[in-house]
Amino acid sequence: MSLKKMHPMTIIISLTLLVLLGAFLSIGVGAVWIPPGSIFNYFVGVDAGGSGYIIENFRLPRIIMSLLVGAGLGISGAVLQGIIRNPLASPDVIGITKGAGFAAVAVIILFPSLPVIGLPIAAFIGAGLVTIGLYIFAFKRGVQPATLALVGIALGAICQAGIQFLTVKFPLETNAALVWLTGSLWGKDWTDVWMLLPWIVIVVPITFFLAPKLDVLSLGDDVAEGLGEPVRKARLLLLIIAVILAGASVAVVGTLGFVGLIAPHIARQLVGNKHIYLLPVSALTGTLLLMVADNLGRGLFPPTEVPAGIFTAVIGAPYFLFLLRKMQKS
Amino acid sequence: MQHLSEQSSVVKYKMVLIFLLGILVLIASFIASLSIGAYAISFADVLKLLFSPDEGKAASIIHTIRLPRALVGIIVGACLAIAGGIMQAITNNPLASPQVFGVNAGASLMVVAGVVLFPGLGSSTLVYFAFLGAAVGGAIVYSLSSTGGGMTPVKLALAGITVHLFLSSLIEGIVLFHETSTEDVLFWLAGGIDGRNWADVRLMIPWSLTGLIGALFLGKGLTILGLGDDVARGLGQKIGWIRASSAILVILLAGISVAVAGPIGFIGLIIPNIVRKLMGSDYRLVLPLSAVFGAALLTISDVLSRFISFPAESPVGIVTALLGAPFFLYLASKGGRAA
Repeated sequence: MSLKKMHPMTIIISLTLLVLLGAFLSIGVGAVWIPPGSIFNYFVGVDAGGSGYIIENFRLPRIIMSLLVGAGLGISGAVLQGIIRNPLASPDVIGITKGAGFAAVAVIILFPSLPVIGLPIAAFIGAGLVTIGLYIFAFKRGVQPATLALVGIALGAICQAGIQFLTVKFPLETNAALVWLTGSLWGKDWTDVWMLLPWIVIVVPITFFLAPKLDVLSLGDDVAEGLGEPVRKARLLLLIIAVILAGASVAVVGTLGFVGLIAPHIARQLVGNKHIYLLPVSALTGTLLLMVADNLGRGLFPPTEVPAGIFTAVIGAPYFLFLLRKMQKS
Repeated sequence: MQHLSEQSSVVKYKMVLIFLLGILVLIASFIASLSIGAYAISFADVLKLLFSPDEGKAASIIHTIRLPRALVGIIVGACLAIAGGIMQAITNNPLASPQVFGVNAGASLMVVAGVVLFPGLGSSTLVYFAFLGAAVGGAIVYSLSSTGGGMTPVKLALAGITVHLFLSSLIEGIVLFHETSTEDVLFWLAGGIDGRNWADVRLMIPWSLTGLIGALFLGKGLTILGLGDDVARGLGQKIGWIRASSAILVILLAGISVAVAGPIGFIGLIIPNIVRKLMGSDYRLVLPLSAVFGAALLTISDVLSRFISFPAESPVGIVTALLGAPFFLYLASKGGRAA
């Protein structure tokens, strides 16, 4: 309650500081523990020896990935929940993630010789195809939240069936696909960072720019149209943006569940429903969630790595169920 | 009550016709299932060797490999379809099914946990793990989706999919920490009846028969329940008793299926919806017909699954998913209202 009385900017600044501190400390976590002193030395340019090599080539790109992916998924979820006007919507639940997953698995298995850059492109296309499916089966009927959620779940089930078909039909190529499907930041290097960075850097500011549109849309179609907002156009534009953010993130790290669902809810508890604050805070909470999950995965059972996707589910699912109960009571 | 007993002769005629059609399809797919495979056996030989086996290779393949597998398929298909029918009746919700309800995922989790934590457990013990998991998974989804304002298709689907995702990641975690048999577990998790033997058939029979007979007795109560709780109570039905025995039957039917064949999806969703469309909502008819059509669909799917990567075997759950997911989409695009 006291948090809600704080000015949103204060919350944004404190969360940003928290993310930076978390990122700094996360660099130390892993099979080889690196004390904060050495990390500091690395950043100020003092030679940190072997630690420097680990930081530069393994830890740092990975932490940056968790920042980008957490932000991408968090904002994507917030945008989706805004346009659908349903707090249960998320890239996972309405099938976007599964669509990207299906396309990625198809590429990994059927065209293993394709260059690395082909994978995110394919995942994009997969997410896009699911979006077209959502548009055909749900949007045209007026985007009733119920229909949209159900159609998304159904499209997700179709993609899941496709994924199962491919992994069983081509058992030898399955392992690479499985690693991707679990959703993990393991082994992410600078190439991955450079692949994702432009999407996030270009698209995220656009969403901030469109935040007022989301506010208007959340008033309902009639009011929004009365205020002169071309509802269908705005909704489609925002949907495409949400798909790009989720698709790009998932394409690089695999199907990381629950971040896009949970992050906006935590954000809403902190700063309320105004999207100009909600979007950046969703990005920050998404980042924190993913960072915690990845640190647990890396640090809990070294040298075994548990994919972050498992921890986001373990943290996220109970919270989601709690949320569902709360909504039913009100 | 009266309208239940006063069926016009046309309806009875139609019902008998559909029932016979189902049986015919089932028998045809059963014979196909004995005939088709890496070692092809002609239909004529199948019929001959089925009843008078000789010492040859074909007879031995039929009696030790294909026959038990086909029987497991029939039993599993029937069990899942009945379980789905019962769930759709008590929740009055066309999307209810062992899979959407988290029952399959719960049973799978417990079976995987049992296999990994207590290696060497026989499948007759794992059955109880499956029952426990089925009960827990179903209870979580039921309690989440039925509080406050009743259970709508959306609430059920969202609660179900989330519990499903959650349980799946737990399974993933378990598999990850015990890398020994990843591929086997993945294969099992897709749901398959390949390689099932007479021991599995014997294991399934008492449980599935109990479930089947129970379902026959429950049909009348479920039909009256469909008229609404108040009407049912007025007609002297013990609602609590019907719900409780329904829950137990679902756990038995779905649990035994998962324990033997893994989580095969969509049979319990599709079949009762189709049967209700054909027959109306009299569950005294819907449940037995669902059993026949469920058995037929699973047997057909099993035959189809052999062509996916012939001559290697593929899990039948893939075929049911490829058939069933579009059907789910069809139900979903209608907002989850009754088909």
